[in-house]
Amino acid sequence: MKLLTHNMLTSHVKGVTKGYPLLIKATEVKVNEVEFNPQFVSRMIPKLEWSALVQAAEEDLPGELVADYETNEEFLKKVHRILLEVEVLEGCLQCPESGREFPISRGIPNMLLNEDEA
Amino acid sequence: MDPTEERNVKAFKRSKEEKKVIRKQIKASHTLLKHEGISTTPHPTESVVVANGGLGNGVSREELLSVLTEAEEVESLFMPPHKPYAFVTYRSVESARRALTQLNGQKLQSEENSITLYLSYVNSVTFEEEKSVPLPEGLVLVEEFVSPDEEAVLLAAIDWLSSNEDVTAQKSLKHRRVKHYGFEFRYDNNNVDKDKPLRAGLPDECLPVLERCVKSGLISIMPDQLTVNQYESGQGIPPHVDTHSAFEETIISLSLGAKTVMEFRHPDGRLVPVVLPGRSLLVMRGESRYLWTHGITPRKFDMVPACSPHSPASDLGTNRNLTLSKRGTRTSFTFRKIRHEPCCCAFPSTCDSQGAASAFSPSPSSPPSLPCCHADATRLEEEYVHRVYNAIASHFSSTRHSPWPSVCHFLSLLPAGSVLADVGCGNGKYLGVNPELITVGCDRSNALVQICVERGFQAFVSDALSVPLRTASCDACISIAVIHHFSTPERRLAAVRELTRILRPKGQALIYVWAFEQEYNKQRSKYLKEQIKEHRQNLSPINNTSDDLQEPHGKSQIHTSEHLEDKCRAVDSMQHISKGTNSKLSVHTNRTAFNTQDLLVPWHLKEGKKQGEEDSGENTKKDKKTSGNSCSPCRMSSKTRIDCNPGSSPSMSCGSDLDTSDATHGPHFKSMPSHDTTKTSNTILKAKPENGQVPVFHRYYHVFQQGELEQLCGQVAGVRVCRSYHDQGNWCVILEKD
Repeated sequence: MKLLTHNMLTSHVKGVTKGYPLLIKATEVKVNEVEFNPQFVSRMIPKLEWSALVQAAEEDLPGELVADYETNEEFLKKVHRILLEVEVLEGCLQCPESGREFPISRGIPNMLLNEDEA
Repeated sequence: MDPTEERNVKAFKRSKEEKKVIRKQIKASHTLLKHEGISTTPHPTESVVVANGGLGNGVSREELLSVLTEAEEVESLFMPPHKPYAFVTYRSVESARRALTQLNGQKLQSEENSITLYLSYVNSVTFEEEKSVPLPEGLVLVEEFVSPDEEAVLLAAIDWLSSNEDVTAQKSLKHRRVKHYGFEFRYDNNNVDKDKPLRAGLPDECLPVLERCVKSGLISIMPDQLTVNQYESGQGIPPHVDTHSAFEETIISLSLGAKTVMEFRHPDGRLVPVVLPGRSLLVMRGESRYLWTHGITPRKFDMVPACSPHSPASDLGTNRNLTLSKRGTRTSFTFRKIRHEPCCCAFPSTCDSQGAASAFSPSPSSPPSLPCCHADATRLEEEYVHRVYNAIASHFSSTRHSPWPSVCHFLSLLPAGSVLADVGCGNGKYLGVNPELITVGCDRSNALVQICVERGFQAFVSDALSVPLRTASCDACISIAVIHHFSTPERRLAAVRELTRILRPKGQALIYVWAFEQEYNKQRSKYLKEQIKEHRQNLSPINNTSDDLQEPHGKSQIHTSEHLEDKCRAVDSMQHISKGTNSKLSVHTNRTAFNTQDLLVPWHLKEGKKQGEEDSGENTKKDKKTSGNSCSPCRMSSKTRIDCNPGSSPSMSCGSDLDTSDATHGPHFKSMPSHDTTKTSNTILKAKPENGQVPVFHRYYHVFQQGELEQLCGQVAGVRVCRSYHDQGNWCVILEKD
């Protein structure tokens, strides 16, 4: 699971209102090499929940977006790495409100709910 | 350099090293707090957490202990399962202090990896003490049943080479090796041919062991059937219940060679892992024989209790004293007595003599009917959609490699950088079509999602009725051939509602469902057309060789109903297709017109490694036949991952559900006339089932009538149908959110 995907995922346990963002508890993380496409990255940024990304990334990201980030190649490279190159292979995602853990196995988050949680 | 200078330089270097270690140790404790909720403290205590020294990152108990005991004596060591850390308690604070000073930053060699350990003090060590899990009822494990000499004699008694080519095929497919004596166990129908005993009876070398079993009262009748299974590291056997009607109650299994972990599963979901040491005998009776499934997950390492005189080998229930055990080659001798009368056990749900159909796990003994409530619907879909897709994932994926042009067209029109969700993404066919999009896929089938991830796409497992994406977070979404698997109109509506929920205002959704009307505007769909072709060729019962044929190749006939009157007419003229009360779901005959909307569609599973190549061969032929512009909208860039050679698609997953090679324990089997297998004859190493019999799975579908999908979408507030059309046997709509 890449952090880009994590940025989109939310807890959907019944009754939970503040299920986003999910807390990442990673036991195995991999960093891949992904071709850097600055245009693609700068198009992604406005689609993201920036504060959730800052929280998820262990590296320092500015709390707020820098102005003119589209032309800031160093910034874009950092974002590229965090969003597309870091991958959580094993671990779980935890609902911030209910504490429910969704396992991540072989890079795949299993978001299935039980009968009583749906 | 003079000695003083040298000393100073050394000291400087040392302190630099020390600082580095401290920095990393702080970072490690940071991570422990952030991800594991473990608080470390700078104040010395008796308890220490060892980051990177855990079962979760491949460190065994023995390896860690040998490093720890080099420093100070350890009072207790707790290694939580699956975690990358461990807790150590020392006799005194001073002892812990010394240990920390000495061991912090220490390197540990585990397998080929060099691991650095970081130690920090913790205030308390908390671990959940789980209750010891009891063995399934009727299960007995007797350790040291045979001596090492006897073990050697038994292993030598098996002449693998004298077997037929099945064994060679098994080896080359990296499959466990199997050999039968007395009677042959057939994997195509999970039963024994009781009228045809094998020439080779049980080997004489087994007699002393069997006599010992009788003497100890473990069995009362001498077995007359033996199956020898040999597992290499990484091999296993899917969970199953031994066929009731084939064998008498008591089944004994002798484990030789390496130990392994066998997992017992109860229908209610309970899982009990049981360590089977080498030279131990497992006796299955009662529930453990008739009700619980047993299986061995294909793995290279098992989590087992660390050997100690106090913990019995079977005690995997508690979390204490666990370690990793590398698998080695294990050979099992399973002795059974052939049953000649029907089984009359107390477990009809798993009993084939008493009506149970599937060998997978307990299933309803009567054919399914249309559900009348949510719980029934969930059960029906679990049995006839989810389990099936998980079982056929690999074969299914190999027949789903050509993206449909109209879907590609929809994707190509989306602006670059759009967020797209593919709900029910299957094998990820559409996830890479437009590389300019930010795409995420989800599917109910873990096996299919795995294929997506193996292909490099982002996907997760979830239900389409509850998609874990935030409301209004997607620019577009697609749901291709998904909603027709929901068995009530309410659930189908709920699925459409979810799709619209995740869309942002003005976002669009594309939905495809299988159409009841396979012939539209006097044009038969490809699905039907293939029937005529096959009929001429074979004059044999119709079966699906590749469901891909329901997909368009080349020009597709898209008929749009843009005029309002047309739309209304379509809705009004919806036929009343007889349903009947409490209707049993009938099984559809592939390649024929539908005569009912709710039905079970057969899937004939093809097995063997070269499966994909065979299908692609057929496919490329078709591509050449049809017009040349077949996939041009789909080739957005050279980066597209959709290739028409599924032979390069990932090998069959090793999850226990997916062991679909010859020795699978599958559900109902149908015989195919032998000349149908000629299509598969060009595959070399295929493990061909006996007599050309092939497993058949049934998938539930609700096929849509003309106008029905539009009517369904019309019931959803805040969204309108902006396009609706028929595409090669499917009804399609494009929805736009207000």
